[in-house]
Amino acid sequence: MSETPAVVADLSRSPLPTRVTLRRRQNVVLQFVRFVRFDLRIMRMVAKGHR
Amino acid sequence: MARIVILGAGVSGHTAALHLKRLLGSRHTITVVSPNSKWNWIPSNIWVGVGEMEKKHVIFPLAPVYQRKGIDFRQAKGVAIRPYGDADDPRPAVDIEYTLPEKAGQTERLRYDYLVNATGPKLRFEATPGLGPDGHTVSVCTADHAVEANLKLRAVIEKLKAGIPQTLVVGTGHGTCTCEGAAFEYVFNVDHELRQAGVRDLARVVYLTNEAALGDFGVDGMIFDQQGFQTTSELWTGSLFRERGVEAILGTHVFQIDEGVIHFESLDGEKHMLDFDFAMLIPPFGGQPLTAYDRDGADITADMFAPSGFMKVDADYSPKPYEEWKAEDWPSTYLAPGFDNIFAVGIAFAPPHQISKPRKTPNGTVIAPSPPRTGMPSGVMGKTAALSIAGRLKNGKDTPAHTASMAQMGAACVASAGTGLTKGSAAAMTMLPVVPDYVRYPTGRDARETQGELGLHGHWVKLMLHYLFIYKAKALPGWQLIPE
Repeated sequence: MSETPAVVADLSRSPLPTRVTLRRRQNVVLQFVRFVRFDLRIMRMVAKGHR
Repeated sequence: MARIVILGAGVSGHTAALHLKRLLGSRHTITVVSPNSKWNWIPSNIWVGVGEMEKKHVIFPLAPVYQRKGIDFRQAKGVAIRPYGDADDPRPAVDIEYTLPEKAGQTERLRYDYLVNATGPKLRFEATPGLGPDGHTVSVCTADHAVEANLKLRAVIEKLKAGIPQTLVVGTGHGTCTCEGAAFEYVFNVDHELRQAGVRDLARVVYLTNEAALGDFGVDGMIFDQQGFQTTSELWTGSLFRERGVEAILGTHVFQIDEGVIHFESLDGEKHMLDFDFAMLIPPFGGQPLTAYDRDGADITADMFAPSGFMKVDADYSPKPYEEWKAEDWPSTYLAPGFDNIFAVGIAFAPPHQISKPRKTPNGTVIAPSPPRTGMPSGVMGKTAALSIAGRLKNGKDTPAHTASMAQMGAACVASAGTGLTKGSAAAMTMLPVVPDYVRYPTGRDARETQGELGLHGHWVKLMLHYLFIYKAKALPGWQLIPE
């Protein structure tokens, strides 16, 4: 069987983040809040699931 | 006094050893057998592979830790298990072969009362001709591999700086690979490095994966509940690929790699080739080569191990179609069938089936991501085996084993997408449980605990986990307070 060039997935319908979203992802204050929230979620999950 | 032998000193085996020592003190002997002299925090290897972290920061020597804790350490590899003993002695035993330079090649038979098989994966580069550091691609599976990957990446960046376009391919080197998360992390860290170097526009970056859809990660993807809508990990990761301009080629089985060319089959059965200048492809994993014998010396390896080389445990291994897979198929005690003193934890246990839907091409080629069982689940399994053994030694052999099924436990997966305390980012995901349970949850998982976020905080989390787990693995004061 002959080999053809690779077919790349069409991601044109994947949502692009807006500039506001990109800024929020790098905002230190907002990200610190998310950092604390994520850590609490890990701890909750550990308590809930690691029985 | 009982002797507990632990084969392997990765996340699972090392966790088991430390907890056993904590629980049993000096009343019993804990022996760790590992061919490696150093412990490696593997999740950070991807940073070594892009030159953002030095090798010495992801490894440390095991012997001083074990000496301080009073754990017997043998730098050796397990070769054979004799669960019924041998002609001379009915006590079960394990044969080891030393890798310590001064004793290299010497063998010894260790008698045990309890055995924990935590041997981790054999990196099966040989499954695909041309794959791996001895072939035409690099790897980040070990710290040394990651160092080599960075050297080759630097060479590619120099060519880009000289104005020569380059194609960089990152992904899986076989249709049955696992650890897609590591490939995902590496591709975005490579992208980040290229941007930092100001050469991204000349580079084609491709993610080549056995996943049928982006965001599968070997766990059949995830459904997140975000802002009042259910969204999928596929949509979420697709967004990141589009934003970063990383191309994705999905549902692939790489069957050969030549100098500068990857040959692969896709799910439709078509065969393709992809030119590359730099490729980091994860190898498929197999069990470490261990054999098993009965008391007469007859080979019972096939009874104790699956064909993949992983040890059978208390899972339901009866073949059944994807639609009939159940959460209960997954093991909970990690005890080997027929033995109440042999555990297999971490990557060493044979999963009952994949988590992702397995697929076959019209040519019969299997393209099926293997289930991940690293990181948090590995540590939890190691601790569970330790609790079971300690319970039995303290309260009698009939004490029920502790349980920790992957269909009940959760996991945090923090996939770095670039480093830097203010410029870094990562996809931070939590899932509960790891193995979907469609009886308990309509989407397979607890919607409250299964979430994904992208941002700088994810990088901080990954960095925090790096320091926390290395601190814990060094058994420094208060290590046991850090959860697995």
